[in-house]
Formats: sequence, structure tokens, C-alpha cells
Amino acid sequence: MPGKRAIRPLGGLAALGALALGFQLVAGEQNINGAIYVVVSTFCLIAAVLMITNRNPVYAALWFAVVTLCVCGLFLLQSAPFLAAASIIVYAGAIIVTFLFVIMLAQQSGSSGYDQSSRQPLFASIVAFTLLGTMLMTFQSWGEQHAHTQVSEAALPKTIGTATVVHAASRPTEKEQVGELRGLGRALFSDFLFSVEIAGTLLLIASIGAIALAPRRAQGTL
Amino acid sequence: MSSMIPTLMTLAADAVPAAPAAVSVVDLVKAQLPTLITIGAALGAVLGAVSYLIYVERKLAAFMQDRIGPNRVGPWGLLQPIADGAKFILKEDVIPAYVDRALFLLAPCIAALTTMLAFAVVPFGPVDNAPSFHRFVIVPNVDIGIVFIFAIGSLAVYGIILGGWASNNKYSALGSLRASAQVISYEIPLGMSVLGIALLGGTLNLEKILMNQAIGGIGSWYFWTQPLACLIFFVAALAESNRLPFDLVECEQELVGGFHTEYSSMKFALFFLAEYTHVITISFLTVILFFGGWHFPGIAEPGTAGFGPMLLKLGVLMSKVFAVIIVIMLLRWTIPRFRFDQLMGLAWKVLIPLSMANVVAVMTVLQFGWSTWWLTLTSVGLFMAAGFIGVQQAQVALNQGTRRAKSKDHGPVAHAH
Repeated sequence: MPGKRAIRPLGGLAALGALALGFQLVAGEQNINGAIYVVVSTFCLIAAVLMITNRNPVYAALWFAVVTLCVCGLFLLQSAPFLAAASIIVYAGAIIVTFLFVIMLAQQSGSSGYDQSSRQPLFASIVAFTLLGTMLMTFQSWGEQHAHTQVSEAALPKTIGTATVVHAASRPTEKEQVGELRGLGRALFSDFLFSVEIAGTLLLIASIGAIALAPRRAQGTL
Repeated sequence: MSSMIPTLMTLAADAVPAAPAAVSVVDLVKAQLPTLITIGAALGAVLGAVSYLIYVERKLAAFMQDRIGPNRVGPWGLLQPIADGAKFILKEDVIPAYVDRALFLLAPCIAALTTMLAFAVVPFGPVDNAPSFHRFVIVPNVDIGIVFIFAIGSLAVYGIILGGWASNNKYSALGSLRASAQVISYEIPLGMSVLGIALLGGTLNLEKILMNQAIGGIGSWYFWTQPLACLIFFVAALAESNRLPFDLVECEQELVGGFHTEYSSMKFALFFLAEYTHVITISFLTVILFFGGWHFPGIAEPGTAGFGPMLLKLGVLMSKVFAVIIVIMLLRWTIPRFRFDQLMGLAWKVLIPLSMANVVAVMTVLQFGWSTWWLTLTSVGLFMAAGFIGVQQAQVALNQGTRRAKSKDHGPVAHAH
């Protein structure tokens, strides 16, 4: 179909034009930071909707990967490049790959019928709305507290919840730029030492559990 | 793409110092000109290098197997890559029936995109005396340099998995099954082997790591203090690129072509391009992390400015990278392919414990302020200990095997073949 083929590059050009126009509009009134934020978060929301609505679990997992990548883009905008890279390695690079694999091995002929209808629609809705409400309320109270903080300072938060960053050692020094790895490491191992240790212990317990649960065979494990 | 955002922001801020209110698209493009030129140079160099590396590899393979190699197209077969490229483009582009069309087309794109994107933070020339319009690194001063490369590298497995699954072919699916296990396993020693250098240099920024070695002279090349880390990094990176000692993903004798069995013409060429770009990137990384990058005593020293030294440094860097690539190609025809359990055993039982011990050694030396030359001794000791344990285990397994075989032969159990 030649007509259909001709439409595709035209559509691509139109999309590029719309993107440029969007940049121009947003950049005109604010800055390039805001423009990138708008593009990335819009794409993130679209991917999230596609992830939930897609019937094919493989595609849903892939859209999940796209959502993760977009969120990492938002982390970058908040000058937290290490968090972004670490999230890509852990989530997009390892966890979703494992998801994909389980799906591909388990459901080679598309999704089964019982996956397509909810078994507890009422209960699920109530739980989901409760979760959404709690999150919105938390965000709102957090936003009131931090209404006037600069976005780029988020790499090294002065407060987490209600606790302030006490130690002077974990604040960035004069020379240090915000978002440098050194500051992050210092904060992790001074102010948040207990959280890091508890998370590490949890992971250790989980890995021991996984080894204990894994089936053993008489000859080798593969 | 996302890595460009900080650069984009800083450059945009530089371009409009007084009035941040009005940033036009023209200003943006003007501010991006050095970046665009650098991207163009890097892309052209990589694509050209890939096509001639294939020629070099074929000639080298022919030499090692006592053949002549490509010699029909042009003098010494030098025009062979161009003929191959034309063939890739002109051949019929087959998309088999019953494949998942979208993912089938997406897979080679992801493979090529991720390997190209990883090259963005690799300094491929002397960054300190580069001309103003060409920086020798696409995204300069990325604080998390190596971590960025690992992050993008961890996405490369999507290309293989999706290609294998979308092909609707059992061989392809098996190939991608092997790929995911292999790539995820070898990411761990790859990342941990670089930790020692990050601790010694106090940075993950590739340009700073290079400058540390250049300023310190040949004695401070990290190869001398971290030889074991160099070996682990090289082996793990080779495994990540799915080349011959580790090419279980596409081994011809078992899986026809592995994940790319169903791919033809330019789509296959994209997978091929991705593999060779990956080889180029890991060669650059090996040279920059362990062998001082463009530094060579007496020839290319830091602090020199001008066009001549720039060319010299570029020449030194390229020679080193080419040497590493040649080693990778020689390895291909020297070491036979691993069995799958050997592959997994190498990652989990050898490389990961060794790299962990190496990190502990580096932290101990730094904590007590000892001379870093103790690390050389530790590395050699660890290597020898691992070799001793390995030989011992092999002997035990051999003894058990012969005993079992003997008891089977003389046992009262009748074999039913």
C-alpha cells in the first residue's frame, strides 16, 4: 500500500515539528529544564497507561521498562545521575529482564483467558484508591514544606521526612557540585547508615532464603 | 539520550547568560554545534572502523588457519568491506511469517542503539588539548562515567532477548535464554573489577581516571597495581560482548545462528555492527582504565599543547586500542568455546569471589595507608591461590569420575543401551 507508506514519514515529521514547537513554547516562558521535564513525564505517563492496558504481558513488561527509563530521566533532571544509572542497572537491566524471561517461558502462546478479567474488582479498586489517596496526601504535605526549595538541590536532601540532615560532614562542601558522587556516598554512610545497613541485611536474608528454596539435584545444579 | 540532558542544560545556560527568558531553537542548535561535530566524527570513525575490522578479522583468521582470506575485491581484498556493505543494503529484506513484527524490527535497533550510546562518555582522544570545535568525547565530564556505560550495557540484553523471542524460532529462543543468563551474570564481576580503580583514584569519571595515570607517569598505570582487576574486567567484558570463547548465544554447531537465525540483510548487519561497536568500546575502556589512555612516557606526556602533540596522543591511544582489538581477535581462534556450566561456574565461582577479594585488598591498603605496590603482590597471590584451588578441584573431580567409571564397568548392573 503506497499511500500508507507515504503517511509514515509525514507523521514522523509532524511529530518532530510538534516536539520543536513544544520546546519553543515551554522554553519561551520558562527554561529548557522545564521543557525536558514536560516531554519526559508525558512520555512516562503514556507508557504507564500502555503498560496497564496492554493485553500481551510481554509488551506490558516492555512498557514497564520504558516507564523505568523515563523515571530515570526525571532523576537526571533532579541532578541525581547515580540514582538514575543505578536504577537502570537494577530495574531495567536485571529485574525486568527476568520478568520478560519468566513471561516468555511461561506463556508462549499469548496470555491465558483468566488473566484478562479481574477476580476481585471491588476489593482491588478500594485498595488502589486508598493507596492513591495516601500518596497524594503525602505529596501534598511534603510539597507545602518544600515549596521554596530549588529543584537542583534534591540530590542531597536537607531533610528526609521530618528528620534533618544533622551532620555537617554530609552536607556538600563549598567546592563540591550538587549531584556529585562523593556527596552521595558521604550522606549514605553517615546520616543514613542505619537504613543502608538494614537494607543490606534484608537483601542478605533474602538471598540466603533464595538459595535455601532453590531445588537441588544430585548432579550439579544446572 | 538522557545523558545529554545535563550538557544540554549547561550549554543552554552558557549560550544565554543575560536573559534566560528567551531561548530560541536557533540558539540551542548553535550551542550544540561542538557536540554535533563530535557525534559526527565518532559515528563516522566507529562505522568505518567496524567495516575494516571485519576485514582485519577475516585476514587474521585466514592467517591463523593457513588460508589466504578475502583477496578478490580490490588490491589485497581491500574493497571487500564496501562490497559487503552494498550487499547488506541491496539484499532482499525478509521478515518471516508468524514473527512478532514490532519486536522483530525493534530488536536490532535496540542492539545498535545501546552500544552506540555507551560510546558517548568514552574519551576517544586527548580531551585536555582538543580543538574548540571538536571535544574528543561526546558528553564531557560525566561524574558517573563508568557506571553510565554499565547501565547502558545492561540494556543491550533487550536486543538479544527480544530478537530471540520475536523470531518465533526454537533456536533463537534458546540463544536468547542463554544470553540473558550470561549477560546478567557477567555484569557483576565487570562492575566489581572497576571498583578498585574507583577507590584508588577517588573518581568514576573516565577523563579523570586517564589524567590520574598520565600525570603519575608510567608507574601509575593501574595495570601495575591492579593486574587481577584488569584480567577480570577483560574476561567479563569479552563475555558481555558475546564473542567466541563466550559465544554460546549464537554458536553455530548447536543453535544454527542463535538469536539472529531469522534475521537477514540490514537487520542482521545491525546486530553485527552492535557486536563490533561493543568490541571497540571495551578495547577503549581497557586502555583508558588500565593502560594510561593516550599517555606514553617520552612520546605523549600531559601538559603539552598544540596540534602536533594532539596528533601524537591520538596516535598512541589508537595504537593501544588496536593492539587490544587484535588480542581479542587472536583469542577468538585460540581458546575453544566454553560449555554452559563452565561459563556460569567461571562467573560465579571464580570471577566474582576474586573481584570481591581484590576490592577488600584495595580497601585495606587505603585504610592503613600502605604502599599501593602491595596490591600487585596481593593480585599475584590471589591469582595463584585461585589457580591452585582450580587445579585441586579438577583433580578431585577427575578422581571421582574414574572411580565412578570403574565401578560402573565392574559392577553387577547390566547396562541397557
